[in-house]
Amino acid sequence: MRENGSSPARQRGWVVRRIVPRFAEIVCPPEVRTGDLRDRLLAEFESLLQVLPSGVRWSVRSGLVAFDQGARLYPRARGRRFVQLADADAEAYFGVVLARRGAGLGAALQRIKGLVVFCYYELPEVKDQIGYRPDAYIAAVSQRRLASYGPQIRAGEAAVLAPDAGPDAGARPDVGRDRP
Amino acid sequence: MSAVIPAGLTRQSEVSADVRVECGVVIVGSGAGGATMAAELADAGVDVVVVEEGGYHPTESFTAETGRALRTLYRDGGIGLALGKPPVLFSEGRCVGGSTVVNGGMSWRTPGRVLQRWAEEEGVAAISEQDMEPHFAKVESRISVAHQDPETIGKDMRLLKAGATAKSWKIIPNLRNQLHCAGTNNCTNGCPTGAKRSMLVTNVPRALARGARVFADCRVERITRSGGTVTGIAGRFVRPGGHRGPRLTVRAQVVVAAGGAVQTPALLARSGLRSRSGLLGRNLTLHPNAKAIAFFEEEVAGWRGVHQAYQVREFIDDGILLTAVNLPPSLVALGLPSHGRDLGQVMGEYNHMITAGCLIEDTGSGRVRNIPGLGPQVFYQLTDHDAERVRRGIALTAELMFAAGARRILLPFDGAPEVRDPAGLQDLLARPVPKQSIELFTVHLMGTARMSDDPRRGVVDSFGAFHGVPGLFVADASLFPTPIGVNPMETIMALVTRNAQRLIEQRGRHRI
Repeated sequence: MRENGSSPARQRGWVVRRIVPRFAEIVCPPEVRTGDLRDRLLAEFESLLQVLPSGVRWSVRSGLVAFDQGARLYPRARGRRFVQLADADAEAYFGVVLARRGAGLGAALQRIKGLVVFCYYELPEVKDQIGYRPDAYIAAVSQRRLASYGPQIRAGEAAVLAPDAGPDAGARPDVGRDRP
Repeated sequence: MSAVIPAGLTRQSEVSADVRVECGVVIVGSGAGGATMAAELADAGVDVVVVEEGGYHPTESFTAETGRALRTLYRDGGIGLALGKPPVLFSEGRCVGGSTVVNGGMSWRTPGRVLQRWAEEEGVAAISEQDMEPHFAKVESRISVAHQDPETIGKDMRLLKAGATAKSWKIIPNLRNQLHCAGTNNCTNGCPTGAKRSMLVTNVPRALARGARVFADCRVERITRSGGTVTGIAGRFVRPGGHRGPRLTVRAQVVVAAGGAVQTPALLARSGLRSRSGLLGRNLTLHPNAKAIAFFEEEVAGWRGVHQAYQVREFIDDGILLTAVNLPPSLVALGLPSHGRDLGQVMGEYNHMITAGCLIEDTGSGRVRNIPGLGPQVFYQLTDHDAERVRRGIALTAELMFAAGARRILLPFDGAPEVRDPAGLQDLLARPVPKQSIELFTVHLMGTARMSDDPRRGVVDSFGAFHGVPGLFVADASLFPTPIGVNPMETIMALVTRNAQRLIEQRGRHRI
């Protein structure tokens, strides 16, 4: 069967793939342009978009298209779309639209920006760059937990399946303190 | 990730054709309410089936990747929106274990003043502190409610405590459902050690061990009825990508709706059920939260240590609770106003931040409406009174952070400049804060099928039985007649433990 190059699904995918990388270059820190970060940010964004409610997905895609095409009306753009603008003009256009918080597109743009930067800060090397390294920490404290409390933990886990032995059987002695 | 699938649990990948089962009680949802009801009934020998829309994700699958958690453990990627001015962002869990898998693990009893109000003003029977005591005790035992081991308390929490102490404000250690929590600060992505005693590792396995059956990845489309009495549920397994899979039909004597305060009224409404009071889906309350970000000279690294070790209770009588919650970088960045190089500079200080905020016991209410084609939609209007309390709660939070040594603070008011000292804070807050500019979120949704023995004032009776529909029960935070001002998990579990006991006492009448 011949693939329909202009199907709605393909168009929606094109919107995201074409606009989001350029959008990320403006809203994320400059380091987003290094290596394959933009591509991986895009993959993260597409994964996130798939689980959002259909109304939100629609508003994100519509917002991106409106923002991209709306640049044609921006004097410094001289009729070009957002993705075709040089950095300085793209940055200025983004700032102008974002400043219109009362208007629909400004508020929508703020939310789309939030989703894109969320995806940027999900990338492992970006987390590492700002000193957020939870995996090694989680491994270390998990080990400490087992070393310190192994028998109590095993007993507590076994109690889940045991017959109820009364209301105080699993409670720790300090629980009564500080109740509101 | 391959994991052992517990006996009695069926996932969509194991189902290739329509499934029909019979049981005594079918429970929709496996969170704090559904799993507790399942364990209590299964303990008593009742034949129980649990149907959960989300997937089964075992402890071994949990990591620090927030994006993965949002995609797998939350409904709609964790992005729900209650429409209003201002809108309120909310999140609901959607997985085996429900929101208990992704909550912060705070386990507080319902305040006595709230129970008293429910008894005296809302027409709820057998709800005194004395009545509830054995149910709270049973829940606390089952989910290992305790204070944190001291070595797990991180710098952000120590600074919060120092700030409260400097202000001479009452601050108390949190009671949490945890078995020697390691302090991984990964609660909202799923506890990677199983120390947080969510329903995934307590009441779900307990129910399964006593013969209950759990169907995961299955969306209940409607409750079925015959002659005014419930007969079970009809649902569909959900294939990857949200595609519709085979049907699940469960015939049961009793149906328990336990999908939470948004999904439960929506399910009942799309099943054609109406309450005589007209209150089904109404009376939504949600404990609006707002947060400030405080920056410190010293390194904080709030991710090294337990999620929430303390709560500031100084203003609880005014319905304001203060605390700090470390958020992963992606969620911090999502809410920041800056972008580009400026965003990079702010986030470069991630390890010097504390995210602190307030929770408000709200006086306004909202509504859940089932809109064909769109599904459940949430509407909520913050009252002027509550907006003023949010403003005050944030002012108090900022005062607390300055007292702890913060050098500047970002406030959750759209367009507000950062404040650098208490005087600047007073100047800023001396001006009116437009209600629409407040950035609010919540994870506590309550009240949309409220209890009252009076069918004109409630959707269900004092024990969760739907007025006028034999065999139908509600078992989640929908039951609450009013907001409770503290984290709701233990209240849900204790109410459901109590209501399950009543159902067991009446099992002959219900033929279960």
